[in-house]
Amino acid sequence: MVADDIRALSEQLAADPSSLAFLPLGEALRRRGQLDVAWKVATRGTERHPQRPDGHDLVARIAIDVGDFSRARSEWETVLTLAPGHATAQKGLGFLCFQQGDLAGAAALLGAALASDPGDQSLAAALGTVRAAMADSERAQRERETAALANPAGALTQATLEGAAFVADARALFDEILGDQPQTALLIDHDGYVVAGQYVTADGRDLGADLAAQLSGVGDEAARAVQFLGLGAWKQIVFESEAASLAMAPGGDGVLLVATPRSVPLGFVRRLLERSVERARRWLETGR
Amino acid sequence: MSSPFTALLGQLIRHRGVSGCLVVGERDGMIVEANLQIGVKGEAFAALSASLYRKARRSALAAGFGEAGFFELTADAGRVCAVGRNELVLIVIGEPAVNVGLIRVEMLQAMELFA
Repeated sequence: MVADDIRALSEQLAADPSSLAFLPLGEALRRRGQLDVAWKVATRGTERHPQRPDGHDLVARIAIDVGDFSRARSEWETVLTLAPGHATAQKGLGFLCFQQGDLAGAAALLGAALASDPGDQSLAAALGTVRAAMADSERAQRERETAALANPAGALTQATLEGAAFVADARALFDEILGDQPQTALLIDHDGYVVAGQYVTADGRDLGADLAAQLSGVGDEAARAVQFLGLGAWKQIVFESEAASLAMAPGGDGVLLVATPRSVPLGFVRRLLERSVERARRWLETGR
Repeated sequence: MSSPFTALLGQLIRHRGVSGCLVVGERDGMIVEANLQIGVKGEAFAALSASLYRKARRSALAAGFGEAGFFELTADAGRVCAVGRNELVLIVIGEPAVNVGLIRVEMLQAMELFA
């Protein structure tokens, strides 16, 4: 959506504050990264139209972009109250459950979302990962119970280690490519959710969702620019910042993002990106 | 009439595969000075490239990576390189096979002009 469209929608909303123009306007502002304004538009619109599920869905997606996961959860739960079976809300809640390690909840929600949108590759891959993790979890539980009978003292440590391993499954998708270096790769879907990979800080926090929310919009902007300029499809973006070199390419139905320290040569960053894209493609196609 | 950027743009346009280079305002995407081959849509490149650079810069800042430096977009039919400082962006447009390494060095050196 171009600036003129946003201006026209803003004028429409100003002329009639009860108009539903807040929906496309809020979404356009969100996609442009103007999250503060998008938030105001969406929350005010939803206050006027509290029975509209698409309004609450918009607020939830903006909340994800700004990292307010509890608000996103609450808004999507409202959506499902108003419109049971709403696919986007099920998908959003499914990813939130997955990130928090609630595999059963994630499988139920992602499965329901996939039934509504069978063509969504990222959903199919995420559901496959969750189901595989659940199977691993059940197997590990049986082994722990057996081990506990044989050696009660050692069972707890083993259980803790195996529990951490299955939750980290999709997050570890790029580990083999990245090695031990302080670099990261994230597969981000078109809504800005992390589908695979992780970005763990030195103090152990996973900031992948924050990074995805901040950077996924660059791919959208690139797609719009190359389309308008007649350059064909965009293949790669590389940019340097003070602290990191960043590279991204289309991956799945979203983008694949790689971040490395500035000391890593750009040629190597490109190679890392290409290998990560290939890894993500294989995973999305085969689940392995 | 020449500006502080005339010589720089004249030097960049001589690289094999480069079809245009521009100095553009980052906020408004307006051309300050440009050296373009015939047929290159200067205003469209200026506006969209500046917008894309601004988006990347703000995203990198918001993600805690600090200020953005060199930026490069590769597409099927072309390549756009950009680097900015003090609300000005230097943009180079070229073929996919353009020598990015050399152009990047010259663009980064040129940032002294923008200081």
